Amino acid sequence: MGPSGSGKSTLMNIIGCLDTPSGGAYLLEGEDVSKMNDDQLAEIRNQKIGFVFQTFNLIPRADVFHNVELPMVYSGLSSSRRRILAEEAIEKVGLTDRMKHKPSELSGGQRQRVAIARALVNNPSIILADEPTGNLDSSTGAEIMSVFDQLHQAGNTIILITHENDIADHANRVIKLKDGLVESDDFNHKHYAA
Amino acid sequence: MKSLHEIKESFSIAYGAVKANKVRGMLTTLGIIIGIVAVVTTMTAANGLGNRFKESISVIGSDVLYVSRTPWVFSGNFFQFRNRQQLTLKDGEKLERHLTEAKAVNPRTYSNQSLKYRSTVLENVTIIGTTENHVLVSAGAPQFGRFIIDNDVQFKKQVCVIGWDIKEQLFKDVDPINKKIKIGRYHFLVVGVMEKLGSAGFFGGPNFDRQVMVPISTLMKCFGGRNRNFDIVVKAPSTEALYDFEFSVIGEMRKIRKLAPTDENDFSINKMDTLMSAYNRVMGVVILIGLVITSISLFVGGIGVMNIMFVSVTERTREIGIRKAIGAKKRSILIQFLFESSSICLIGGLIGLVMAYGVTQIIDAFLLPASISPAIVIVAIIISVMVGVVSGIIPAYRASKLNPIEALRYE
Repeated sequence: MGPSGSGKSTLMNIIGCLDTPSGGAYLLEGEDVSKMNDDQLAEIRNQKIGFVFQTFNLIPRADVFHNVELPMVYSGLSSSRRRILAEEAIEKVGLTDRMKHKPSELSGGQRQRVAIARALVNNPSIILADEPTGNLDSSTGAEIMSVFDQLHQAGNTIILITHENDIADHANRVIKLKDGLVESDDFNHKHYAA
Repeated sequence: MKSLHEIKESFSIAYGAVKANKVRGMLTTLGIIIGIVAVVTTMTAANGLGNRFKESISVIGSDVLYVSRTPWVFSGNFFQFRNRQQLTLKDGEKLERHLTEAKAVNPRTYSNQSLKYRSTVLENVTIIGTTENHVLVSAGAPQFGRFIIDNDVQFKKQVCVIGWDIKEQLFKDVDPINKKIKIGRYHFLVVGVMEKLGSAGFFGGPNFDRQVMVPISTLMKCFGGRNRNFDIVVKAPSTEALYDFEFSVIGEMRKIRKLAPTDENDFSINKMDTLMSAYNRVMGVVILIGLVITSISLFVGGIGVMNIMFVSVTERTREIGIRKAIGAKKRSILIQFLFESSSICLIGGLIGLVMAYGVTQIIDAFLLPASISPAIVIVAIIISVMVGVVSGIIPAYRASKLNPIEALRYE
């Protein structure tokens, strides 16, 4: 976490393989991704990263099912396999009854759940969430955070970017950034106390 | 396998994009529709014209040579032939004697005369003096009555066989057989009516239905035999043998005309091919010009598609960012937009084909025998997809090169 301008988004872009670092190396599961070309990065993003954005970033013309299915289209799974996995992911976020709806027909919280389902569906190494509750009211935000908590308990690695302390409280490890540098890197003792 | 899924995805995206912007899509395709209609109509009309021409000269026969004083089609000045000796009936008789492989030899000579039956007069009708061999070398047989026989030729009988148009114009509903008509100042008995042969008239060629055939000897008796020019029509053993046959004819003719080995031929060999290749030369140029003009409209249509694809890429910058973030490669984005532009053009092409079919039906009904051939359909489809690919490639390439971070931030 950190205030605006602290380098959160840049770090996220690098972790998410959307950008390559201008110096140093980034090893993702032992692979140096900092020297990869655009298409190799695309494949890494497809296989190992699941994005959840502040502004949801769903494809407006496609329905819920198709939005969730999309990463698997690019990884080349057969349509029957895609159907099984997409339905499974949608069920995890509790939107089975909204499968055929367009994003514009859903509430903010529901849209973010769709985005989470899309992030989950390729079973990535990291789920990368950039201020996922930033555009939601606090009760919906709490709802979304509970979805993240469940996923975390189920064994998913989640990197969440925020500037709100109560959101950061959900995490096991909190890295604070300031002016592009790591200010602190702490374990959240609350979780370990329990 | 992987790209197959991407192509399927691209197809559904393209379908969705076209569906989402119906009016815009319609306006964009309009350019392609007009272009395809123009191209297809030009090609079918040219085809129809060619078929009509082929049909009209098929009377001549593909295995027949016309030995004449001058060629039918030539370049340069007509005066280059003015010193040539006329072909005589004697030449014809000699050729018939020596050219043993010929299936038939038929000398002809022509005269222009007026026709009269009761009070109806037809001016300037081609009178052909010919022999009984005429029907062996040329297409067409008498529809009613009979043709000229050797007896008519031998005894210079004043009988005639009239063409279909002559019957229609001169006799209307009356049965012409055994009626007397006047050719020039002479009375002739109508013994036959030829079937309808068609006309090469609209190319300035002869109208085969506006002719009257009389025995060659009778024509010479009535309208003068001196200083008369003849055509000698010879039929080859087969169409395949025509090439060799032509050499034999030239050889015999050179002997008959007593030409020295260094002399040029003082006669010409004419055949259906001569006309066909002359036609093809002229029409080739016309079709080329037509296609250049019509492809300008396709080009303009393609520019319209390119324009709309740029709009589409800009509009969907964010979508491109999302797709890239979740793992779409450059190629996937490229394919997606190429598919979209080709789909727009393909739809335009198909609509254009349907409309061109309508136009062709109208042409067929009122002007020419025209029909859209499967080859033209395939060419039109290939052209429209190609226009789509060409006009989509720059916008699609630009989309594929977008930086995902900037694209995601785009408002």
